[in-house]
Amino acid sequence: MSTDDTTDPAAGGNLIAAEYVLGVLGAEERREVERRLAQEPALATEVAFWEERLGGIADAVAPVVPPADTWSQIEASRPALMATLAGSSGQPNFVAAVTATGNSLVVVPASLLTNDPRAMELWLILPGPNQRPHSLGLIQPGQPIRLTIPPELAGQLTPDAALAVSLEPPGGSPTGQPTGPVIASGKLTSL
Amino acid sequence: MDADATRSQLAAALVRVAGGDRAALRVVYQDTSAKLFGVCLRILKDRGEAEDVLQEVFVTVWRRAASFDPGRASPITWMVAIARNRAIDRLRASAVSRRMEPIESADAVSDPAPAAVERVELAQQHQRLSRCLEELEARHARAIREAFLDGTTYEELAARMSVPLGTMKSWIRRGLLKLRTCLEA
Repeated sequence: MSTDDTTDPAAGGNLIAAEYVLGVLGAEERREVERRLAQEPALATEVAFWEERLGGIADAVAPVVPPADTWSQIEASRPALMATLAGSSGQPNFVAAVTATGNSLVVVPASLLTNDPRAMELWLILPGPNQRPHSLGLIQPGQPIRLTIPPELAGQLTPDAALAVSLEPPGGSPTGQPTGPVIASGKLTSL
Repeated sequence: MDADATRSQLAAALVRVAGGDRAALRVVYQDTSAKLFGVCLRILKDRGEAEDVLQEVFVTVWRRAASFDPGRASPITWMVAIARNRAIDRLRASAVSRRMEPIESADAVSDPAPAAVERVELAQQHQRLSRCLEELEARHARAIREAFLDGTTYEELAARMSVPLGTMKSWIRRGLLKLRTCLEA
């Protein structure tokens, strides 16, 4: 220990949060702080204090536009959204998956249900009170289908949004809202 | 422009990201990616590495947006912290391939450019930080700035500024203590 260290009032370690935020710690010390952060709210508060106060130093860094394909790679690596649509018996009738770009939906029948002549229409119900279902189009009981999600809804496909299938007259609901019985429904979840 | 408006717009977008809104993540990306890429690049000194880390940062933001508390942290500060942590971890992991920046070039970039300062949200907090840094001994302030910007360890800073490790630790810790007193005042 140098003289400087022994006279250092912070040698007791109460600056560990500041040192962590500043970035002067080695890899193992950083892991140690992160382990403690999960269990010590006081340390987490200290870290938040320093992040907020020292953050202004980053003002000195000039922005650099990242390569154009960075965004598409981020999109592709986000967790996928899926839903299992089950009927009242609890048996899955359809599986739906949102594609990586978030603007289309693949619906695969999990079991053949009926030869009911009525059309099957897929609906999106956004989370929140009093949400009206949005039609996503007609699906077939016997084959996978890819549906385009309208752009105004594409950003709103979130975990907790729900999908439902109703039976409708041929060609789909004439009212824009479900008119027949709901035969399957399920929530979107992140994989 | 209006820093407050930018901040609240970004905070609102992050809240929507927390709800799983993919379009909101794109808004956040458009508003912050250049800043965060600059931060990562400054630490990693390598475009490929910085790009990898930037992707990790936004995937992390997507997953962790629910833990962002708009009442407590500024959105850009929260995101810069994620970016710095990711970049520093990457830097430590690839310590072997790291190259030391000569002192001259480190000096050349260590002072905030006024234009850059004005461009980003210039909260009162940031002005206070600048004032408090100015009150430190110049070499202590410089060590703190460089540590933050480059993500360098005590050891590397000591080598870079040609002082013993103990001296560097002491400079930074004294500086941080003074800074805390000044920032809390």
